[in-house]
Amino acid sequence: MRALLAIAATLWAAPHAAAQQMLPPPYQGVYQPQGVDEIGLWREDDEAEKELAASPLVIRDEALTAYVKHVLCETVGDDRCNSVRVYIIREPTFNASMSPNGTMRVLSGLFLRVRNEAELGAVLGHEFGHFESRHTLQAFRSRRTGSDVLAWGALLAGMAPGYRTMRTYQDLQLSVYGSLFRHSRDQEREADRLGVAYLNRSALRPQAAGDMWQHVMAEAESSASVRGLKKPNFNAIAFTASHPPNGERAAYLTELAASDGDARDDGAARYREALATWMPVFLDDQIKLNDFGASDYLIQNLAQNGWTDTLWLARGNLYRTRGTQRDFIAAAQFYQNALALNPALGEAYRGLGLSLIKTARRTEGQAALKHYLQLSPDASDAAMIRLMLPEENSQ
Amino acid sequence: MKHILRALALAMCVTLFAAAPASGQERSATKQGFELAPKSGKKILVFRPSVQVGSQSTGGMFEPNGEWTDSAKRNLQVALEKLQTKLGNEIVVAPEAYGEDAQKLAEHMALFAAVSDAVIEYQFFRGNRLPTKKRDNKEDVFDWSLGAGVADLPGAKDADYGLFLYNRDAYGSTGRKVLQVLAMLGPGIPVKSGEHQGYAGLVDLKTGDILWLNADAAMGGDVREAEGADKRAAQLLEDFPGSDLGQ
Repeated sequence: MRALLAIAATLWAAPHAAAQQMLPPPYQGVYQPQGVDEIGLWREDDEAEKELAASPLVIRDEALTAYVKHVLCETVGDDRCNSVRVYIIREPTFNASMSPNGTMRVLSGLFLRVRNEAELGAVLGHEFGHFESRHTLQAFRSRRTGSDVLAWGALLAGMAPGYRTMRTYQDLQLSVYGSLFRHSRDQEREADRLGVAYLNRSALRPQAAGDMWQHVMAEAESSASVRGLKKPNFNAIAFTASHPPNGERAAYLTELAASDGDARDDGAARYREALATWMPVFLDDQIKLNDFGASDYLIQNLAQNGWTDTLWLARGNLYRTRGTQRDFIAAAQFYQNALALNPALGEAYRGLGLSLIKTARRTEGQAALKHYLQLSPDASDAAMIRLMLPEENSQ
Repeated sequence: MKHILRALALAMCVTLFAAAPASGQERSATKQGFELAPKSGKKILVFRPSVQVGSQSTGGMFEPNGEWTDSAKRNLQVALEKLQTKLGNEIVVAPEAYGEDAQKLAEHMALFAAVSDAVIEYQFFRGNRLPTKKRDNKEDVFDWSLGAGVADLPGAKDADYGLFLYNRDAYGSTGRKVLQVLAMLGPGIPVKSGEHQGYAGLVDLKTGDILWLNADAAMGGDVREAEGADKRAAQLLEDFPGSDLGQ
């Protein structure tokens, strides 16, 4: 029995030990596309990048772009990251992508879902993994093979039309589509493994990769619960799922993280400082999505490293935007918290004033609005706010 | 990734069995009252043509081909230069744009693509025409515009009209051709092999109005060869106002 246990223990430990050693493969050097398919894809991608570089959606902030590039380099290593071009796109969704020729697109919504450099590096490393393994090319080829099989299958089915051949053809269709989606999920898993392998070798905390997926699940749960929906299932794989389920990803990413890396720095303070100017903008974009549960979760998640005036202001705006009477009471409190941290935050006086007026505290509200106008006399809505003040003050 | 797969599924469904309508693949329209007299000394600014060449896989997917695209771009450029004399007016190539100009240009290229797609889909060809555009067709009205913003495009100040060109070719692969023959011989299913689309549009650089648009979903001429490209360029600019092409 003891021997059996020992065997079981070694069997259990074996993949575990292997996981602890998870490191990226040696770098192959700068890569040039090979073969018709790959050259064609890169050619199209070069064209798409040219368009992207001139797109109005791109945030042209050299400091922010350089910072993201720096975190990528910290994660994957200077030798690998040099050829990458980073473009930050203003769109409040959680995503990033990397295309065959080395264009990295980062959507601004990502910055609200990560709280430190290690979590940001986990996502960037994952995308870089797709690039290094040349996944777009593989996916293109598997789609082509799949659609070729279906074309010939359709021809054969057409030769002997009938109920049974039709059904066989439909089965073939389902299995081809299913295998394409599974292929996509497998690529995501491979990129996840590479991403965590880069982090293991870097100076950042690799456990952050698993943490981030926990937060993503908690956000989805919060969004669903505020809307009164059923708790999402984080382990079910849908037929058309392009990514593995979040629960699975969180589990294996935590498993694969080097345990000695747990004590490493995750760069939370540096992250917060680098994002300071953009955070209000990204939070504002998120609040306008009208997803109260998710937005409230994101703000509180970012506040785990300590509340700031920006976060209190955003939370106040979130509650005031939803606009029930109880929300105004809560919002007024949040604005006051923001003002306690930064008395010069004009925006917070504006929100406070508007919330107080809505909760029948007109005089206090008007006093707050006056403060707002004193702090930001040139605000675009200054004339409108002046209308809410008593006559003698409006001049 | 998800949208790629969806697009793929759609492409397969659409291209495998749906043969495009044999007639009505080609059409052009001119804005009412617009006339461009030959030798009237007007300047036409040609924006960087969008060219995409590849092959069509057995299952109907587009396979981009870098070399073909490069040679097609080169060939079409040469062909356009040759046609210059026949267009009846002076042709100027738009300068390479940088910084904010490049952003403006990219936006207008995208806008032109969106507007011409709308014209092609909702006014030109049978199938999905809007009732109002059907009426326009009867009354010979062609009224579309990109807005006055075109006046700020790089090079627009020194020209009167802007010419946009779009070209996309997918040559049937061997597998696709075999499938086409077998499907016809066997169950008698029509399978389309290859896809050759193009459109060209002339825009008033002062007002942004589209003055002329020519769309062709089944173009001739192999753009990978110099001779084919000449034929293609002539087809793209067929019925060009004030020219002696396409007569």
